[in-house]
Amino acid sequence: MGSTQVVIIGGGATGAGILWDLSLRGISATLLEQGDIANGASGRCHGLLHSGGRYVVKDPETARDCVAENRIVKTIAPHCVDDAGGLFLLCPHDDPAFFEQWWRAAGDAGIRSRWLSGEEARELEPSLATDILGAFTCPDAHVDVFRLVLANMQAAVARGGQFHTYSKVNSIHVASGRVRGVRYCDTRTGEEHEISCEMVINAAGGWAESVAALAGVEVPIHCDKGTLLVLNDRPSSRVINRCRKAGDGDILVPAGPVSVLGTSSMPVPGPEGLTASSREIDALMQLGIELIPGLVNARILRIFCGVRSLYNLKQEGGAAGREISRGFAVFDHETLDGVGGFVSIVGGKLTTYRLMAAHVCDCVSKKLGIDSECTTAKVLLRPAIDRKTHRRAIQMLPQPVAERIERRLGPEVDRVLDSIEAQPELAELVCECELVTRAELEYVLGKSTPLPAHTIGDVGRRTRLGFGPCQGTFCGYRAMLAGFQTHHWSASQAAAEFSSFLHERWKGQAFIHQGQQVEQLSLSHDLYGADGPICADSGEEDGK
Amino acid sequence: MESNRYDVVVVGAGLSGLTAAGTAVRENQRVALVANGPGSFVLGSGCLETQDMLRSGTAPERNEAIAFFCEMARLADCPFDGDIAGGRYLPTILGGFKSVALAPRLLWNAEPRDGASTAIVGIRGLSDFDENFMAERMNERARTIGFACTYAARQISLASDCGIPVTTLRIAKRFDCDPEFRSELRDALRLAAQGFERILVPSMLGLHCSETLIAQFERELGCALGEMPTLPPSIPGLRLSHRLWRYLHRMGVELFQGFPVQKLEIHEGSCTGVHVASLGHPLILRGESVVLAAGRHSADLLGEACVELDPQMRPLTPGGSAMAWNLFAAGALAHNGACNGEDAMEILTGYWAAKFAAAARGSYAAR
Repeated sequence: MGSTQVVIIGGGATGAGILWDLSLRGISATLLEQGDIANGASGRCHGLLHSGGRYVVKDPETARDCVAENRIVKTIAPHCVDDAGGLFLLCPHDDPAFFEQWWRAAGDAGIRSRWLSGEEARELEPSLATDILGAFTCPDAHVDVFRLVLANMQAAVARGGQFHTYSKVNSIHVASGRVRGVRYCDTRTGEEHEISCEMVINAAGGWAESVAALAGVEVPIHCDKGTLLVLNDRPSSRVINRCRKAGDGDILVPAGPVSVLGTSSMPVPGPEGLTASSREIDALMQLGIELIPGLVNARILRIFCGVRSLYNLKQEGGAAGREISRGFAVFDHETLDGVGGFVSIVGGKLTTYRLMAAHVCDCVSKKLGIDSECTTAKVLLRPAIDRKTHRRAIQMLPQPVAERIERRLGPEVDRVLDSIEAQPELAELVCECELVTRAELEYVLGKSTPLPAHTIGDVGRRTRLGFGPCQGTFCGYRAMLAGFQTHHWSASQAAAEFSSFLHERWKGQAFIHQGQQVEQLSLSHDLYGADGPICADSGEEDGK
Repeated sequence: MESNRYDVVVVGAGLSGLTAAGTAVRENQRVALVANGPGSFVLGSGCLETQDMLRSGTAPERNEAIAFFCEMARLADCPFDGDIAGGRYLPTILGGFKSVALAPRLLWNAEPRDGASTAIVGIRGLSDFDENFMAERMNERARTIGFACTYAARQISLASDCGIPVTTLRIAKRFDCDPEFRSELRDALRLAAQGFERILVPSMLGLHCSETLIAQFERELGCALGEMPTLPPSIPGLRLSHRLWRYLHRMGVELFQGFPVQKLEIHEGSCTGVHVASLGHPLILRGESVVLAAGRHSADLLGEACVELDPQMRPLTPGGSAMAWNLFAAGALAHNGACNGEDAMEILTGYWAAKFAAAARGSYAAR
């Protein structure tokens, strides 16, 4: 049985941020995640690093947090951020009074902004609708969530932090009013493990309620679904927002070679089994087209839904131990429910993940009697790559490939370059959209990385393989073969692995009912069998 | 202008467009085939699955269309073997087996057969195909579906340049035109084949070369040779497409390849012209009848997202009347909603749309 000071439950942005924060403070911590990194809301959002603009009018406090965190994240994790900037568009049918209000509030919140005329805005972004009256600039940016979560975990591991993915917590051991440890199950092998600890932090997002229940306490949250569309194009180079009271479908974020349009907002009972309706999708597209008419020809690659875990405001009270502000809440269950050493954090947003982590860690270190200060705002998540490595990468790989791999792997890129040097054929691109080389694929599948990938989906979250137009139809197959060739999987395991990966990808395309992606999906069905017959050991595979 | 007049203009060169053009030409029509791209079936495995076959249409209609297609494929030098009722197995790209009705001859050697010992031969440097993976999977899967046969993996290296990484397309092109390459490949395969009754290779044995040449290659090799499916670009699909194009050309079909159709000219219930975007000046093809077989996208040409057809396969207006008396739809347009594995439907609709088109025309030649 292992032991640690703090167990963190949940491997999203918040959990990873907490692991890093605690590790920096010298507190030993282990993170347990039931799936892979950023499995819940973190991996299913726009990837927008808010400038704060969206909240200036309604929630100035959150806006100010975003302003600060926006700057901090850009500084500590430049390799995760595409600092594209953003625009808030003034549309002819929206309330002009709101524009003025926004402009004043943005000034108060400290957002650097310029008021552009319609023409100036179109000069920056030629694809904007011709009836746009103007735009406000803002420092919005795209953040690669998977990379950000990985970066936090990786940095933490280097400082002695630990984490286990595919580890579902089954019970929290409470004795004499204190948590003593947790028991978790490795969902891939079915093995059970125990770990003793002084404190448990519940950072499970949409699953926070059920995790809290393991310790016999209640965390009142409600789940709110957002649907997002991935488009096969970057019609704008900046983040496009609509300047009005926050509503559906008014944010378009260019994210690498694709862009993400969203989102809707709909209450749902829980974080699992989400689906999108075609009405929802059409409505989102329609709203997007109002801002950028060219989207009418955009190809939808994929549709996905995420869940925001919102703190239930109805039950908000002034009870001790409950710190509610800025859209997130930290519960100290010792004061609230008499369960010592148990803390929950709910709500919040991706942009403020670091701030949320800082609040929780302050609380936790106080309880542990450790006098420490949060330094996550100052310490780089990853050391910059040195010039020698950079030169080597450019010499060995085409420049765009070298750039991408440097951003993904940082100093570790040397290991991949070593293997290409030894075996030049490993420079072959296995994913042409995201420019992933075979060497990188083998590296993330290998055991020498601090965050090994167990499934093809895991590979995707580490390299973006399979996120492009083919949605894994070609590159997923190659990843499967690579896993087989490196003895990661037997042939039937590899086929089963690929099958479940592909079904996951198909799910995201199933709601698309028109355009070229339909044909792409049909090709994928054609190659691998549409009626789910590819499942490796079902026997149905063979038409029986 | 006169030179742009045809009895039947077929738009689209997927499986349904090619079948339609072949059908119309057999009905003694003057035919033009215009297509922007090669159609999506060139990416597929080149065989007709049993499931598709059973899903498509009623038996007599289907059998007539499929029989015609097989005859056309035979004349085009890409003969299909098999049986409409199916029930025979071929390997999939994941090393499982699927029930197949009709497939090109070269693919059938990969059929599991009791007691057969088979070598699966990979090519060094060809990374999208893994012979070890295939052999391990096929051994398992063949057992599961009740065949007593074994597969073993072998690999050969080729000295000839087949690209870095090696691709099946590159190999196929060299196979077509380079006799020295063929003998190098044959010798390497012969070594790998020692002790086996059959060998299977990833699909790569030429795109343009004749069946006779492949048969001769197999004879010289001295053992049965079969092809396995690979990731696209898939050689069996491409090969079929190439040979059908060449056949149609030989039969006098005028081919306009690489030109998108921009507009269908419809006047008073009659489709009077097909506007083609060509270099220099716009080209208008005039046909007594028009078969639209350009896939789901061609719905845009009709101005409707979703099209209903009358029993003669003519697209209907939302009001329920035919858009034009001489406009017929085939392929994906004619089996709306279905989204996959519809090769048999493509053939069926292409065949019947062309039949209707040929019958409907008021004999242009007589005017």
